[in-house]
Amino acid sequence: MKIKKILIANRGEITIRIMKTARLMKINTVVIRTAVEPNAMYLSFADEIYDNTADDSEIPVFLNIEKLISIALKTKADAIHPGYGFLAENAYFAQKCLENKIIFIGPSPDALYKMGNKTIARKLALNNGIPMALGSEGNISNEEEAVDIASKIGYPVIIKAASGGGGRGMRIVRKSEEMEKFFMIASKEAEKAFNDPSVFIEKYIENPKHIEFQILGDTTGNVIHLGERECSIQRKHQKLLEEAPSCALDARLRKKMGNMAVRIAKAVDYYSAGTVEFLLDSDRNFYFMEMNTRIQVEHPVTEIVTGIDLIEQQIRIANGEALKFRQEDIKLKGWAIECRINAEDVQAGFAPDPGKIEKLSLPSDPYVRIDTGIRAGSAIVSSYDSMIAKLIISGKDRKEAIKNCKMALDKVWIKGTKTTLPFFRMLVRNEKFQNGDFTTSFIEKDLDKYYFNSEYEEMLAAWLATKLFVEENLEENSIAVDFENVKELSPWLLNKRINQF
Amino acid sequence: MSDKLQIKKLHALSSENRKFSFTIPLKNKIRIGKRDYIVQLRADDKHGPYVLWKNRKYPVEIVRSRQNRYEILFNDISYTFTVETPFSLQRMKVLNAQRGKTEQESVRAPMPGKIIDVLVREGSPVLRGEPVVILEAMKMQNEIQSPVNGIIKSVSAKANTNVMKDDILVEIKVD
Repeated sequence: MKIKKILIANRGEITIRIMKTARLMKINTVVIRTAVEPNAMYLSFADEIYDNTADDSEIPVFLNIEKLISIALKTKADAIHPGYGFLAENAYFAQKCLENKIIFIGPSPDALYKMGNKTIARKLALNNGIPMALGSEGNISNEEEAVDIASKIGYPVIIKAASGGGGRGMRIVRKSEEMEKFFMIASKEAEKAFNDPSVFIEKYIENPKHIEFQILGDTTGNVIHLGERECSIQRKHQKLLEEAPSCALDARLRKKMGNMAVRIAKAVDYYSAGTVEFLLDSDRNFYFMEMNTRIQVEHPVTEIVTGIDLIEQQIRIANGEALKFRQEDIKLKGWAIECRINAEDVQAGFAPDPGKIEKLSLPSDPYVRIDTGIRAGSAIVSSYDSMIAKLIISGKDRKEAIKNCKMALDKVWIKGTKTTLPFFRMLVRNEKFQNGDFTTSFIEKDLDKYYFNSEYEEMLAAWLATKLFVEENLEENSIAVDFENVKELSPWLLNKRINQF
Repeated sequence: MSDKLQIKKLHALSSENRKFSFTIPLKNKIRIGKRDYIVQLRADDKHGPYVLWKNRKYPVEIVRSRQNRYEILFNDISYTFTVETPFSLQRMKVLNAQRGKTEQESVRAPMPGKIIDVLVREGSPVLRGEPVVILEAMKMQNEIQSPVNGIIKSVSAKANTNVMKDDILVEIKVD
């Protein structure tokens, strides 16, 4: 193994995930301590910590290419793993690593560039006979042009950022009057997020399923797929729950879509782990959407059904090794579901709810895998994403996985912020979800309630409110309420008060 | 003003106007059908405060408390109640009947974040559902929409500034 020491240019759960595999492979790891999260959990897993808390630059270190290269050189790391987000899909960063003789654990700068630019990726897909939604040939420069193209391909259309991904810079337009407003918003959002205001237009596929294929390629030209992930449970293009496999695919469709995924990856000589995203409509037509050139948040569900450690494969491929298995060796076994437990207020439209995690207790049953970078005392800070933990559940089939998921969700105990737990508790009880009858518009259209509470929970909460009122206001069965004196309690103080009761 | 009186009953009124009544002194028992079930408020180091009900622990927390208004987090779901005595309940009913429709609506930040763009100015007419401010929070840009039809009365949101949750962004005179 050429790779002896990896700098992980990331934070949170994915950094810990990478370190777990590195440890098994006897590779040392370096992580970066930042002023934003000086006591983060990932720091305690590393062999070496680079202290960057004195850095007063406005750019977070995980986005600072020069700084990361200099840290890698200083700590004598021979490889950088970018994780997901931040610079994971940045071609310039990969190129800079190459120039400094640091191995970038990911695809080539060329593949990153081509797949990162959605208009180039579209052309590549078209030239390789990959099914695609109708759309603009290239980028569009103003709303008049957008209206023009939209009237040709028909509404609704979707405006997407050319350099985009992850749901940012996207807007659905249903009629020409909306175009001006949404064009401006999408373009501004794209400029802010990706430093590139260019956008293009595609026919919007109504009520599709989001199906993506995990790809592995090596530097000798082998490319295989590891089956699909079903990621239709999403809100505003942010995935909430993913599964592998998908109940919408049979062996034949899986083979057909998998072959297309491999074909587009080969078109850019892809190596490392990657994901080809498709939309699948109700007539089982599928359309190439984009390729994600990184390890994904939802990679564990594929690891469970294939038994393959994707981080290990990324490292081996970066080390120049050829894949040890062929397409026919890949067998999908069982079912896996991932719930993204985020610090979000489900009752307030999934608004982020940053704060300190006061208590955290997670299940440890054999059918549960937890990937997290948070422990009791950790803070969910607003500068990063709101993820607390990924609850990854397995079962021999989908029915058993859902049953296990229901049990595991009741064993998760998190205090300090509101979480998406009530949403998942509702979802696993939803009949349409159980039957596999859902699309990407499921949350918007098919749900009238975003959370689950059992029959007596509201009554018990009412009892608690009454109890607090009694403890505060009643003296010997009489009431003394001072309505002039307004008390503002700081949240999460019940613990201290119980001790006074 | 201080009320001093004997009471036998309290009512917890939910924000959706559901009423839960409890006899005072408050018991650790709740009757469902013909059976009494024990309910207990407890706390330990591992879990923090919890309610024990039918052999199951439910996480609980007070999120906010002000006068007789309580926001309770019960099993990760928040509920808001006002706890009313039979007298205050009566008084509330009278007050509610007297109060007319609201004439002004404040648009508040639903989450902490950074104002990216303000799409309206004082005096602009707005329609319900029309975006008034673009707020960026946790890598997502969110359109904050007007809840009503009306005229913008004042704009407190400024582009490129940070806001806290519940900060007023714009105020709208309702049509």
